[in-house]
Amino acid sequence: MAVATLPHGGVHADEPDQLYIETRDLRLQGFLLFLVSDCVLFSSFIFAYLYLRNSGQGWPPPGIPRLDVPFAAWNSVLLFGSGATMHYALENWKHGNFMKYMLCLVATIILGAGFLGGQGYEYTNLIVNHHITWSGSGIFGASFFTLTGMHGFHVFVGVCYLTVLLMQSAAGVYQGQKHFGITAGTLYWHFVDVIWVLLFSIFYLI
Amino acid sequence: MHFDWVILERTGAIIGGIIVGVIAFYALWKDWKTPGIENQVFKLMLFLLGFGALLAIFAGAGVLGNFGKAA
Repeated sequence: MAVATLPHGGVHADEPDQLYIETRDLRLQGFLLFLVSDCVLFSSFIFAYLYLRNSGQGWPPPGIPRLDVPFAAWNSVLLFGSGATMHYALENWKHGNFMKYMLCLVATIILGAGFLGGQGYEYTNLIVNHHITWSGSGIFGASFFTLTGMHGFHVFVGVCYLTVLLMQSAAGVYQGQKHFGITAGTLYWHFVDVIWVLLFSIFYLI
Repeated sequence: MHFDWVILERTGAIIGGIIVGVIAFYALWKDWKTPGIENQVFKLMLFLLGFGALLAIFAGAGVLGNFGKAA
């Protein structure tokens, strides 16, 4: 349980707003630490992938076709676009434009779900048409499905998180300056975007 | 009638990338002087978002992502 102490040593047990103000920075730091730990998780997988990729006989390995770059670029734009709408959702909240905030949040959820749909389509295409699987296509299949799958799971969690934010906002859970959940959601969604910039680069562009 | 999905995907990537890139860099420029730890993180992420949009534009235009052999 979070407890904030007064300068004279008392406790704000019955003043949630004061408690909110005093613990906001702590929660922000905690959330940023969570994002850093997620960065470490992705970094370890990415460096393992790059090491394995550079220790093999060229890339992609023999028998593996080139990935569908135009489709991935289009799908990436969906995710990057959702980052932009999420940023403006927070901006609109800060400026008191509730309807615009809700519209941007809905747009973010739709774009995020669209990205997941695109990833599902790409997986289906690779598995059905090219017979590339997680366990049966060597380093390429294992690393590709592990990293993009892990990222896809993060996007799925993000979509669920934003849907909860949408419902909470409609129910009036967040008020004025008391909106740490929205800030955390925006940070998480930007993080998911940035990780995709890396994955898009290393799997499709280099 | 034959419909070329690749052209549609490339066009979508380029146009969408330009829109997202402009929005990201404009938001970065607008928020440049805002203080606070979360805003510093937002600025970094907006820059990377804009960079990602640039990559998508180049990938859509066929400038990047031409390694390996075609399927």
